[in-house]
Amino acid sequence: MLRSAEVMHLVARRAAEFGVEVDGRTRFRMKAAVARKDDIVRGIHRSIHSALEGRSERIDFLRGEARFLNDHEVDTGDQRLSFENAIVATGARRAVPPIPGLDSIDTLDNRSALLLDEVPESLVVIGGGYVGIEFAQMYARFGSRVTLLGRNEQLAPSEDTELADLLADYLREDGIDVRTGASVTAVRADGTSKVVSAQIADESHDFQAKAVLLAAGRVGNTDRLELASAGVTTGKKGFIEVDEQLRTSQPHIWAIGDVKGGWMFTHVATYDGPIAALNAVKHHGKSTDYRIVPRTVFSDPTLASVGLTEAEARDQGIDVTVGSVPVNGARAKAIGERRGKLKAVVDSTNGEILGFHILAPHGDDLVHEAVAAMQSGGTIDRISKSIHVHPTLSEMVKAAARAAK
Amino acid sequence: MQTYDYDLLVIGAGQGGLPAAHMGANLGARVALIESAKVGGT
Ligand SMILES: Cc1cc2nc3c(=O)[nH]c(=O)nc-3n(C[C@H](O)[C@H](O)[C@H](O)COP(=O)(O)OP(=O)(O)OC[C@H]3O[C@@H](n4cnc5c(N)ncnc54)[C@H](O)[C@@H]3O)c2cc1C
Repeated sequence: MLRSAEVMHLVARRAAEFGVEVDGRTRFRMKAAVARKDDIVRGIHRSIHSALEGRSERIDFLRGEARFLNDHEVDTGDQRLSFENAIVATGARRAVPPIPGLDSIDTLDNRSALLLDEVPESLVVIGGGYVGIEFAQMYARFGSRVTLLGRNEQLAPSEDTELADLLADYLREDGIDVRTGASVTAVRADGTSKVVSAQIADESHDFQAKAVLLAAGRVGNTDRLELASAGVTTGKKGFIEVDEQLRTSQPHIWAIGDVKGGWMFTHVATYDGPIAALNAVKHHGKSTDYRIVPRTVFSDPTLASVGLTEAEARDQGIDVTVGSVPVNGARAKAIGERRGKLKAVVDSTNGEILGFHILAPHGDDLVHEAVAAMQSGGTIDRISKSIHVHPTLSEMVKAAARAAK
Repeated sequence: MQTYDYDLLVIGAGQGGLPAAHMGANLGARVALIESAKVGGT
């Protein structure tokens, strides 16, 4: 769907820059884009099922909602199963904050927003995190008039402040009404529209739109599991607390992925899964290490990062050098993408890379050079002294590394 | 010694549960993987 938004943006807004003339009106067909997405997802489901069928002698794939009866048994709705070890991988779902009026209107979530037949003429997105940013930009490109309300002063609050603020500026350039430090106080229906009221710098503002998308954080999918019967305790927002081996408060029950909170990414869940299985089945005692988890907001330009931000490193009392370069160079010019900035955060005493923060076209791919270099305490020389192909966007990663010397 | 239906029960066939179940099977465990909705998760 993000790709559909990108194609729409290029064709509708930028084709002429590249010498491409489009005659007539450019229309976005939501149904066709959704059908394309569904086709891709169906293919993924098919391959997952066939992989499971190939393992049917060892893996019983069962349908049902599991609920713990005690520390060694679950009820699946139609049967009772006993287990020696269990791994809870039930994920997270969107949080529904206690906003007055929220239950009186229909709001969209990340699933229902992709089931619409038509693009809503206007949309208020509540939540300035990864999901809120991605959906706001995507719908703006589909043709909605979008307002993005972030609760914090910064969008994507865990990311580098300068880059997050730059991204907010770019979203505004794209026509999105971005409001930060906005705390939503009430929502209500008004005829066929919806009104979202928010407190911004001590003033109350009303935002009217045809649709409202709620993306204000996530909660763990634990409320129907009856974890207490199994002796597993949950903490804030229904997330399960685990130790570094992914063990819950019940030593033979483990939790992985989103349901344990923290960084909620597919690549964290797929990293956790085999570790928990090793520890559960072979008592391997293997620990997780989340110091080098890359993260990406799939915006345009993409905000991708790994490791500590400059502010986090300084808070830890580390003497840091920051190398920073704007998006530039032959390739960026050639593809007509000039928005963004790259920052390398380096320990001044020994050159160790502490973090890398990229707001750039294809930042999601570029960040992996830093991820690889950071393994086993790599220094910035690994990047700054390596030969990079010309003309590539990766040359900008090298330039940021050189600027951190 | 007590015996159980499964050595390893994985609840949720999403992004984490699937590789956990496959790894469990690779290690020789008898695995049950249970899913209430669609495989693949969120
Ligand atoms: C809109 C959106 C966009 C995202 N984009 C990205 C992205 O671009 N990159 C990225 O890395 N991450 C992204 N994420 C996050 C990513 O989807 C999750 O981190 C990942 O799916 C977590 O895997 P998981 O196995 O913990 O949970 P899930 O993949 O959600 O799987 C949990 C599974 O458990 C099942 N289940 C729940 N309760 C029970 C029960 N009682 N019994 C049986 N089954 C149960 C559910 O039906 C589900 O299938 C995105 C998330 C959202 C919401």
